[in-house]
Amino acid sequence: MTDIKQFQAQENILEKLYSEPKNLWKRILIILFIVGLMIWGASGTKIGIDEKGLNLAKSIFSGITHPETLLLFNLTEKGIPYLVLETIAIAFLSTVIGSILAIPVSFLSSTNIVPKPVAYVFRAIVLFIRTIPSLVWALIWVRVTSTGPFCGVVTQSVCSIGMISKLNVTAIENLDTGVLEALDACGANTFEKIRVGVLPQLSASFVSTAIYRFDINLKDATILGIVGAGGIGFPLDAAINSARWSRVGAFLIVLIIMVVLIEFISTKIRARLARGRS
Amino acid sequence: MTETKTKKPPLFDRILKPEHIVLDNGHAVDRPRSRTPLFVLLILVGVVISAKTTGFDIAMFVKRFNQLPVILGQILQPNFEFFGEVWPKLVETIKMSIVGTVAGCIVALPLAIVASANIVGSKVILWFFRILISVVRSLPAVIYAYIFKFVFGMGTFAGSLAIAVFTVGIVAKMLYENIETIDMGAYEAMQSFGATTLQSFWTACMPQILPQYLDNCLYSFELNIRQSSILGYVGVGGLGVLIKERIALRAYEDAGMIFLMIFVVVFSIDLINDRIRGIILRRKK
Amino acid sequence: MIEFKDVSKTYPNGTKGLKHVNLKIEQGEFLAIIGLSGAGKSTLIRTINRMIDITEGELTVDGTNVMSLKGKDLRQFRRKIGMIFQSFNLVTRSTVIKNVLSSNVPDMPWYKTFFGIYSKEQKVRALEALDKVHILDKAYSRCDELSGGQMQRVALARTLNQNPSIILADEPVASLDPIIADVVMSDFARINKELNISVFINIHHVDLALKYATRVIGIRAGEIVYDGPTKDVTQEVLNLVYMGKEVPVAGEKIEIEGMVIEQ
Repeated sequence: MTDIKQFQAQENILEKLYSEPKNLWKRILIILFIVGLMIWGASGTKIGIDEKGLNLAKSIFSGITHPETLLLFNLTEKGIPYLVLETIAIAFLSTVIGSILAIPVSFLSSTNIVPKPVAYVFRAIVLFIRTIPSLVWALIWVRVTSTGPFCGVVTQSVCSIGMISKLNVTAIENLDTGVLEALDACGANTFEKIRVGVLPQLSASFVSTAIYRFDINLKDATILGIVGAGGIGFPLDAAINSARWSRVGAFLIVLIIMVVLIEFISTKIRARLARGRS
Repeated sequence: MTETKTKKPPLFDRILKPEHIVLDNGHAVDRPRSRTPLFVLLILVGVVISAKTTGFDIAMFVKRFNQLPVILGQILQPNFEFFGEVWPKLVETIKMSIVGTVAGCIVALPLAIVASANIVGSKVILWFFRILISVVRSLPAVIYAYIFKFVFGMGTFAGSLAIAVFTVGIVAKMLYENIETIDMGAYEAMQSFGATTLQSFWTACMPQILPQYLDNCLYSFELNIRQSSILGYVGVGGLGVLIKERIALRAYEDAGMIFLMIFVVVFSIDLINDRIRGIILRRKK
Repeated sequence: MIEFKDVSKTYPNGTKGLKHVNLKIEQGEFLAIIGLSGAGKSTLIRTINRMIDITEGELTVDGTNVMSLKGKDLRQFRRKIGMIFQSFNLVTRSTVIKNVLSSNVPDMPWYKTFFGIYSKEQKVRALEALDKVHILDKAYSRCDELSGGQMQRVALARTLNQNPSIILADEPVASLDPIIADVVMSDFARINKELNISVFINIHHVDLALKYATRVIGIRAGEIVYDGPTKDVTQEVLNLVYMGKEVPVAGEKIEIEGMVIEQ
């Protein structure tokens, strides 16, 4: 009796075992696909390093680990402290200009504020700004402003509008419309509705986005220097080109410290904004 | 009143005392002074200093602004005959980003694990890897490419490597933040029946973070496609070489064609990624 | 056999988890540990598989001094002790059978763990474990599709799959509704009888404890205030465990974990 019972148990377990959905093939296919992509991607790439490269790597490494400390305390316009100030100034000014200009643009691209055709026109403009890389924007603006930090400010302001608007639009479209209804109910006009019902909801997220963009602008400011748009990237470019690695080392270390520090601070501020004032 | 005030008020409220409002019925409330004027003032000071430092010159900007519509007008009339020249470089750019993204994402996974506070007990190890990730993240891919070019030559390898390093930074950061929010119950259970840290993580935590990990990888791929198109500017292959050359020659119609093709590729990859995300999310539910 | 000899636990912040605990538990007992929250129930249970280290005294499980174990030996030791949690602690995004199979992981080579490959024999054993807790039909469902009671049974199957001689259960029915809680407790009782596995259960529901356990331990502020067979648990004992005095003031109402004991 017990034997039969046990046998039955075995049977239904085996039945269950064979009913297992087979997804092994799917997994193998996905892995094969990624491996295939890698092989295709790597085809035609010359991997490896020659004697000359190896020597260069050594001198780069030793240069970067022995940075030129003299530059750190040079207080002229060629010294690092001034360059850091200039880089931060470019990023700061362009963030302020960009986020102020982004406010009308983002309202005009939100489908819950303006008619859809208008919103799509402004979205297309924002998309266009975002499609052209910031480096290229700098190359274009250089024709207007000529080289120098001013070019960096203009370039980054424009690029900031692109990204900030995109994030702001999301915030605007997630607006809680219940408050507006409540304001309607107590007879508020459009301006009052925006001032009392809309701004308080959006200000924290707008400020947070601006701070986030400040981080990015700071990082990008180093790239823009390569095309002559001011900031620490400009002398860095010159130092790399003339293979003065200990000078490159000094720039990189300062750059890294600056970016890491400011990112740390801005993360703290944004976390506080998200929580509300403690 | 003194009992409830165990915490010292912030410095701001001690300098500018909160307004004490007493209602008609005798109930009182403290209204802290608004901080907004202070912030606005600080920002204004920052703007003035920055404008001085950067040589902000609105007059020049207005005077020479007419240059811009000319250039943009040319960019918006792409030269379609240039397609043949852009195509191979575009493929090179895509290849470079794929290799860089996949390699970077693979390296980022273990790095993110050792930077997660809920997996690694030792504060020293934790902060070592976190600072490492932050440092790697602080430089843009272009700078890496610039330096790698000297070591590995002008080819796409330096570009792929630069993308990979950059990817490691961003994916590891996003991932360890994700890992720290997962439910550790299953991990604890596996520890209770004798699994090692690695076994517990792989079996109990990996299924939880896999969708987020894939999502991060897709996001970094989008970013990398955009980035790698300019890497060539410093001479490591891909579209950037062409962009540099065409803009230097002021052949903006050709540049317009390049941007159009970048746009089409970025847009299609966004679409594909959204599809993949949809599949991942559906499984998540 | 598990033996606590004058065991104490002091947490780093100075809190006393256990105070001079002396216990002897034979193989195959069904033990219910009752007491207020924070009385030391969890601490007591978790010292047995050394999820928590004891600070004084000696704790032996089947002749092994628990505190002498390290690294690999400790993990080997934990293989024969199953543990069940209040929050089930399943990998909710995985299928039921994957969760049950996860208790095989410590004995598997790394590459099999890496790719999640299990042998047919392991799968059959896992399914049998699921069958023992009557949840075989859900084997290929994902855990997040199950109800709380079903999830706790999956956790039980996972533990059975590791073939333990002891099962520690930390508030296994606290997040289940009363009817499901009774069913899960009866599962524990059946497993205890049929497989001769010792079962230790931390439990708030005194009625369930009295219905299924063979022996009850009452713990109060880290001290064992009652240790005896279930049939000897009287109202006085419960008063002692939950209120610290045998005879309460008449008419006094005390709320314990949402349950009101009225005198």
